[in-house]
Amino acid sequence: MTDKKPDPRRPDETFEPFEETRRIPWPVYSIAIALAIWGVIMLVQTSTAVEVADKTQKEVAKEDSTKLAQAAAPDLDAGKTLFADNCATCHGDAGEGVAGAFPPLHGSDVVKLGGAKAVTHIVMRGIGGKLNVNGDGYEGQMPAFGSVLSDTEISEIASYVATGLNDDAKTISAPEVADIRKVAGDKDPFDGGAGLAGLINDLPAQPNSEAADQGADSERVARLVGQGTDTVWACASCHGDKGEGIETVPRLAGLPAPYLAKQLHDFQRGTRFNDSMAYVAKGLSDREIGELANYYASMSSPSGAKPALQGDLKRGAQLAKQGDWSIGVPACFTCHGPSGVGVAPNFPGIAAQQPSYVAHQLAMWAGGSRHNSPLGLMAGIGKALNDSDRRAVADYLASLAPMPAMDKTELAAMESNIPVREGVDQ
Amino acid sequence: MSNKHPSDIPPRGETKSSRGQTVLRAILAVGGGLVLVVLGSLLVDFGLAPSWLTGATRDQSEAETAAAQSGGDGKQAALFQPPAESTIPDDDFGKSVRRGMAIFNDTGTNAHDFVGNDLSCSNCHLDAGRQAYSAPMWAAYPVYPKYRGKNKMVNTMEDRIKGCFTYSMNAQGSPSGGPPPYGSDVYRDLQAYFFWMSKGLPTGEKPEGAGFGKIDKPAQEPSRQRGEEVFAQNCAVCHGADGQGQKDINGKVVFPPLWGPHSFNWGAGMHKVDAAAAFIKHNMPLSEPNKLSVQEAWDVAAFVDSHPRPNDPRQIGDVTVKDAFDKWHHKHQGFYGKEVDGELMGPGYPSGDQASVPAQNENSGG
Ligand code: HEC
Ligand code: HEC
Ligand code: HEC
Ligand code: HEC
Ligand code: HEC
Repeated sequence: MTDKKPDPRRPDETFEPFEETRRIPWPVYSIAIALAIWGVIMLVQTSTAVEVADKTQKEVAKEDSTKLAQAAAPDLDAGKTLFADNCATCHGDAGEGVAGAFPPLHGSDVVKLGGAKAVTHIVMRGIGGKLNVNGDGYEGQMPAFGSVLSDTEISEIASYVATGLNDDAKTISAPEVADIRKVAGDKDPFDGGAGLAGLINDLPAQPNSEAADQGADSERVARLVGQGTDTVWACASCHGDKGEGIETVPRLAGLPAPYLAKQLHDFQRGTRFNDSMAYVAKGLSDREIGELANYYASMSSPSGAKPALQGDLKRGAQLAKQGDWSIGVPACFTCHGPSGVGVAPNFPGIAAQQPSYVAHQLAMWAGGSRHNSPLGLMAGIGKALNDSDRRAVADYLASLAPMPAMDKTELAAMESNIPVREGVDQ
Repeated sequence: MSNKHPSDIPPRGETKSSRGQTVLRAILAVGGGLVLVVLGSLLVDFGLAPSWLTGATRDQSEAETAAAQSGGDGKQAALFQPPAESTIPDDDFGKSVRRGMAIFNDTGTNAHDFVGNDLSCSNCHLDAGRQAYSAPMWAAYPVYPKYRGKNKMVNTMEDRIKGCFTYSMNAQGSPSGGPPPYGSDVYRDLQAYFFWMSKGLPTGEKPEGAGFGKIDKPAQEPSRQRGEEVFAQNCAVCHGADGQGQKDINGKVVFPPLWGPHSFNWGAGMHKVDAAAAFIKHNMPLSEPNKLSVQEAWDVAAFVDSHPRPNDPRQIGDVTVKDAFDKWHHKHQGFYGKEVDGELMGPGYPSGDQASVPAQNENSGG
């Protein structure tokens, strides 16, 4: 045996016991310990995450129940916070308004005479066109918040505006708001001061309504939208009856007509890719494209979007309002306009856009598969955002009130006159 | 080996022991490796790993990214990071800081009486006055009061802000007809904002990122004609083909006007082609800094700055454009007092009350 060299492949009989009685080598111990530590840390991490989630859920539940309990007495502090988040960008932190652009809410004769009830109607439906407040004329567009704020939230805001910003004593409760929603919820925005006349008694003289007769939309457009033709699928079957979109199908209502027309031409030409839309757009004539673009641009419809991607809304709000310059991203609203309502003709509104669509488009810009934006502006932005930023900002935008419809008379005068380098990415 | 259990000692010859050692070594190597992987991943997880190891992720290297993106022209000097908005204290000082920030970002609304055009401070001092190479306020605050040869006196921060109101904000066209008077709360709040923002920077030292940064001299004389083309391709989509900017449906300015009656006046620093070229190179087109070549930046700056705009507020009454040129503009690289396509640059627009122009301070360059 001793002179025979052991076969290195076959362990001899002494090998096994020798290995078995050996103490476990220290690296094995360290691996086990390290893995154990890792495991424990991971456990703690996930359990805190679960805890946080649980806690927020409980808080929400608690909030809901306390809200229910206090249905009669709206929470004015909550109203103040909601006001800061939803109204202050236009009407100012203290409701002081902006001379010539946004009417005041503090000391407004409309609020004083109409009280929380009138404010509820206005917040729910929005208002556009000529309006006099305290004798000063305004002609702006306020979005409709009916589709993005709950009855409780509207009751809190309206009560805060009536009693906190003004000295009215009467608040409005969530059930009362719900009743108003039943009768007025789907109505179009008020047509300026003239539209308010029926709602508020003794309102000082208001300018005449100028709403141009919107006229029946051409039969051809109605058919394209509603039924489609042999070569064109009905737009509404994907984009919704009110052009509000769903999931990765975008909201079209209220987007600038020149922007919409350009997108349809780009689908036709293949400079923007999407199989369904390429098929649809190829069946459209230039004239139909123009008419469809105007149709959707002047459509006023509620928001069909809700945060759905578990995005961090605070981060989303930061990106939208301040940007993150450390990654080279200015506020979305510097280009898409305050409140994200867009700047015609080249900057589409992004408020109330479908979150899955927004996140998807941002990813497509990052990956280079959408590359038809002027100067490649969105490519840089899409690339700078990571996945969680995209979800955060998409969800935040989905929580905003939809952009108001564009005025038909203005539409006619507007056209995209800006040179665009076709298909240039950067 | 001596302190090992007897059974540890290989009972057989060398081959046996060397095989045992190989196994031991393998276990040691694999085990050590695994330990390292586990520890490493834990470190990375908790962000304790040095950034050179993790490939400089975002949070850890904000400064470098910002420097690379915002016109450091390759300079890698670490840039000061102003504190986050969330750190503004919740007390009376914090309130003043917030008011200052509101004035800075929406000057026409929050300092309405003293603004005579469509601009806000943050239109030229980007990211609420925080962006390096757009004359950030954190870089300015620590170097004032400062002697300026231009008006041959020591300028306080208040003087300096007053300069930007007078010229960049064209205060002569404002409801009050001039900049905020000395001691106004507008200055108080703006300075509180700047002071808060520059926390931690040494006084008296100009930090990296101050001003608009350096721009090389162009290879060819700046050309308005080439500039017009650069403008159409790179600027018009936002600032409008006519340079008058764009507003949203409610009349809020989104893209500021670059010339014409609602822009900065002929006394403003931005009317100088060299200043505008540096600003544009490092900040425009918005979100795409340094996209333009040095030559393109000079060309488009020359194009932007060779259009009519409100008069230099010092050029009033008997003072002609020629006088103003000889007195204040002859050293500037600009179009003031020159003819462009047969039109004299400088007279501005006939406007109402121009009487209350600041007499004390001839501080140009704001
Ligand atoms: C995008 C800007 C914008 C936002 C956000 C906005 N408004 Fe308005 N609001 C307007 C404009 C513009 C008018 C005037 C409309 C017109 O001229 O017809 C107006 C008018 C009003 C009026 C009637 C006039 C008056 O001054 O009394 C009330 C009440 C009102 N808004 C309340 C609110 C409340 C409450 C919120 C928050 C939920 C809000 N608004 C959010 C722009 C806005
Ligand atoms: C089969 C479903 C479908 C039908 C039918 C359809 N669309 Fe679309 N549409 C989409 C999808 C999905 C997108 C998003 C494409 C992408 O991801 O780039 C889109 C995008 C668009 C866009 C670009 C919007 C934006 O915000 O950039 C326009 C404009 C548009 N559609 C108009 C129409 C019109 C007009 C019709 C009817 C003639 C129509 N679509 C019919 C699915 C559809
Ligand atoms: C520098 C200007 C600029 C900034 C900043 C900007 N955008 Fe855009 N965005 C554009 C332009 C221009 C378009 C139109 C693209 C086109 O015509 O193809 C656009 C289009 C979009 C669209 C497509 C809308 C549609 O209906 O298809 C989305 C979504 C969008 N932007 C989201 C964002 C978000 C989110 C941010 C902030 C993180 C942002 N944008 C910041 C310029 C900008
Ligand atoms: C039209 C563009 C423009 C606007 C608007 C503007 N500024 Fe300026 N500002 C400048 C220029 C140009 C300089 C000189 C930068 C340099 O020296 O490099 C400057 C310099 C300054 C400085 C000194 C910076 C330093 O580093 O010394 C301060 C402080 C300042 N501005 C404050 C303001 C305030 C406050 C407002 C709003 C009331 C404002 N600016 C509006 C263009 C502008
Ligand atoms: C994507 C839109 C966009 C493009 C493209 C763009 N700018 Fe701007 N520019 C802005 C915005 C927005 C501001 C104001 C900055 C802010 O408020 O954040 C601004 C500010 C300015 C200012 C200072 C403010 C003023 O009114 O004088 C100048 C000068 C300027 N831009 C010049 C240019 C030039 C030259 C180009 C082309 C090379 C250009 N910009 C391209 C959006 C743009």
